[in-house]
Amino acid sequence: MELPENLNKDSNGYESAEKIILRWDSTASEDARERMIFETDRQEADLYLQAVDEIQRSLSNVSISTSSNAGKNANAVDDQSKVNTTIQIAMARLEDEFRNILITHSSALETDSLFDPSSSSISTPSHHELEEDDTLSNDDSSHHDLLQLQLQLQHCESSDSSTYRSTSSIREVDLMPSEAICDLQAIAMRMISSGYLRECIQVYGSVRKSAIDSSFRKLGIEKLSIGDVQRLEWEALESKIRRWIRAAKVCVRILFASEKKLCEQIFECVGTDIDDACFMETVKGPAIQLFNFAEAISISRRSPEKLFKILDLHDALMDLLPDIEAVFDSKSSDSIRVQAAEILSRLAEAARGILSEFESAVLREPSRVPVPGGTIHPLTRYVMNYISLISDYKQTLIELIISKPSTGSRYSGDQTTPDMEFAELEGKTPLALHLIWIIVVLQFNLDGKSKHYRDASLAHLFIMNNVHYIVQKVKGSPELREMIGDDYLRKLTGKFRQAATSYQRATWVSVLYCLRDEGLHVSGSFSSGVSKSALRERFKTFNAMFEEVHRTQATWLIPDTQLREELRISISEKVIPAYRSFLGRFRSHIESGRHPENYIKYSVEDLETAVLDFFEGYPVSQHLRKRSQ
Amino acid sequence: MPATDYQGTSSPLTNIGRSLLPVRRDQVHAMESPIGGSASNEAEIESFQRRVADGFHELASVPSDELLSLPWVRKLLDVFLCCQEEFRVILFNNIALVKKSPMDRLIADFYERTVKALDVCNAIRDGIEQIRQWQKLLEIVLCALGDSNAGYQRSLGEGQFRRARKALIDLAIGMLDEKDSGQALAHRNRSFGRHNTSGSHSKDHHHRSLGHFRSLSWSVSRSWSAARQLQAIGNNLAAPRGNEVLATNGLAVPVYTMGSVLLFVMWALVAAIPCQDRGLQVHFNVPRQFLWSSPILWLHERILEESKKRDRKNACGLLREIYQMEKCSRLLGELADSVQFPLSEDKESEVKQRVKELEQVLDALKEDLEPLEKQVREVFHRIVRSRTEGLDSFARGHNPE
Repeated sequence: MELPENLNKDSNGYESAEKIILRWDSTASEDARERMIFETDRQEADLYLQAVDEIQRSLSNVSISTSSNAGKNANAVDDQSKVNTTIQIAMARLEDEFRNILITHSSALETDSLFDPSSSSISTPSHHELEEDDTLSNDDSSHHDLLQLQLQLQHCESSDSSTYRSTSSIREVDLMPSEAICDLQAIAMRMISSGYLRECIQVYGSVRKSAIDSSFRKLGIEKLSIGDVQRLEWEALESKIRRWIRAAKVCVRILFASEKKLCEQIFECVGTDIDDACFMETVKGPAIQLFNFAEAISISRRSPEKLFKILDLHDALMDLLPDIEAVFDSKSSDSIRVQAAEILSRLAEAARGILSEFESAVLREPSRVPVPGGTIHPLTRYVMNYISLISDYKQTLIELIISKPSTGSRYSGDQTTPDMEFAELEGKTPLALHLIWIIVVLQFNLDGKSKHYRDASLAHLFIMNNVHYIVQKVKGSPELREMIGDDYLRKLTGKFRQAATSYQRATWVSVLYCLRDEGLHVSGSFSSGVSKSALRERFKTFNAMFEEVHRTQATWLIPDTQLREELRISISEKVIPAYRSFLGRFRSHIESGRHPENYIKYSVEDLETAVLDFFEGYPVSQHLRKRSQ
Repeated sequence: MPATDYQGTSSPLTNIGRSLLPVRRDQVHAMESPIGGSASNEAEIESFQRRVADGFHELASVPSDELLSLPWVRKLLDVFLCCQEEFRVILFNNIALVKKSPMDRLIADFYERTVKALDVCNAIRDGIEQIRQWQKLLEIVLCALGDSNAGYQRSLGEGQFRRARKALIDLAIGMLDEKDSGQALAHRNRSFGRHNTSGSHSKDHHHRSLGHFRSLSWSVSRSWSAARQLQAIGNNLAAPRGNEVLATNGLAVPVYTMGSVLLFVMWALVAAIPCQDRGLQVHFNVPRQFLWSSPILWLHERILEESKKRDRKNACGLLREIYQMEKCSRLLGELADSVQFPLSEDKESEVKQRVKELEQVLDALKEDLEPLEKQVREVFHRIVRSRTEGLDSFARGHNPE
């Protein structure tokens, strides 16, 4: 008696379930097409889900009865077909509902709130700030541009780093309210248990993909081909790299991580690996699009100015890598992990390549026009600014630069490449060796440039100025100083001192030669012993030589005030006492004759004052002034 | 169908120039090799030419029903990778020569071409992803109409057909070439008219999103064009003149060879795989003296012919498996539109037959699509690597004046 009742109840349940399903068949009625159940009628939604369960139950009953009757029962076959159709209608409906819920809750991530507002006001240093103390303008303006570029880079870096705090680790956000997730879960469960997993993934992927796409647009992630990246000006790329770094952090740590969480929330309880399949369906394309840009940068043409942005990109990706591995931890997302690692190693390779390219560029920098006044060459400034920036990236570069510079030995006997003794530099990191090598190469190039000065004194002054600048730059940066080391610094100091000495010798030996005693005493003449005419001649020569040196060397330039001061003192210490004593010994001989002012034109004080005009970089307007008369 | 079309049509060609460019042969011999290592150099170059020729002879000798199949495309990429590797070795062995004019310019041109090929590789990767989307839709069809996963004997009812049809509609939209999507959309409405009067906003969105979806699946900007990219790769690609061959100690020949191989392989990929703005109007002006010219020109001609066939003209890719996917889904779509329920035995067995064909295509895709994707990536890597090596060695020894 119980059995038929049960059956009866079952078929009643089935019929009312079928009724609900058919009522919402969107191919059948206008109303069903227009309205979404989950959106408008909570109660009906629950009834609908129950109805689907009911149909599913009877589907398994039908299949059991079919198989037990081995297909003999035509009714059973009919029933099966009917149930199948109902299931299909239900599934099509659920698919639409699923899509609709997803769409309703798919707005782009509120990325604005993810950034620190200060990040939008990156200050760009003004032009004159960058010019430093460089009063010299010459034809090598490209160096200045590059220099400015570098400094700009440095600037932006320091102001950027603070703004990343909000994206410094994985931070999932809720992409959807929990009620929506519950509904999606309920639908997904039924679609999957009815064998509609593929449809479910399909719908989920297509809706979420376009949600990610709008987030991408908000983040300013563009679709750029490698060709596009190659064509862009470096300056434009720089800002894109900056933006990419910020966007990539948001993408990996917030956007993708949250997508993953959403997949887990909806699908984890439904079946194994389904959440992962949905996640990959959603983010594979976007992830590839995101990484394409970094990849394009990593294979772009190498040039020195790119080093620091490439290092920024490298560091950012390095920093992101553990999180990329955490978010893309499944087997199916293998290709994304691999690609990120590949890009990282390519960026490292690019940084290495750029460094060695920089070395050969410094070696071969071809400008021949001597810098007027023997001051600091733009190349020296550029190179030294560059390597002090390198020292700012020390942490990264020590990891990346693992081989010594390719120097001397291979080219030994080659006049176009300097040698470097590695023996004295034992214990230094390869990076430090590269920096020293760059300085060696720079000096080599400067030595070559100094030969273009006609005046040997000026050539020495030029070397003194430039090497002094190198020393100052190294001393000014603790990192650089530590890497270069005091030994090598002493060598450099010795070199510019030597140049100063050589300068003094070249200029002043001949001037001081006028003030010697030899040749003034007339042998045999007992009464006076000094040849007046020779003495007059000496004074005249001295005056002329000093005037000439004063006139030319006032236009020479030592930009460093202390160095300038020191050299002047050193000159004074040699010239003034010699003149004073010469004057003391022979003044009476001149003053006893006619027109002494023609021969003793300058007092000791006059000369002391005149020396103060030296190396200021201005032509002196008048002849040496005689103050004491 | 003759098993080896190619042998038949090209038998006279195989005899031609089993040696290098005549110009090389005469003149390089006459030259008292100033750079040294000329003899081994020449052997190396000659063997490279032969290797390239052999590789393409093999590709060209497949029966016509294997041309442009997934296994064939994979073989094509294998040949490319082999050529690329040998070419790299030649450059490496002649590094001093490579840095001298006019080789430096030729090689710089070559690297420019290869960078452009990288974008094609990325576009092809997107295209493979798209094929994978279609594959997924067809899996739904298979799931609906197949019987592989049912433990009981299933009869096909209206429900299954509705499910299959839904996936087939999505597939048809997905497979449309962008430029004629509007017109074809109308076509779809006609052929699936009976079941496509739906106006639900969510369905509308669904179909709009399919079109949108396509634009999402390309990782390059909308203005990117495979056709233009191919033209850029082939730009100024010309056989070296006698004096160039002389001045480069013969190296201009492998550079030209590799450039041509690159162009052809990228062109064939674009022909086979869906990508943005496909276009096959690239001219191959390979002089017949080159060993490898006949198989490449022959393949070029065959593929062009294929693209002009009536049923392939508007295809989104000439890949044989795409053709089969299209055919299967069209026939199944027609069937789905015409069947009456309950299904007659005739119809049922027809459906079974179609489903079996569908299964075969899907199996082929399952087998080869992922390896192909990996290979395309490998091509990308190799190109990048050889270019980086080249640029590095340039930078180290380059004299600006």
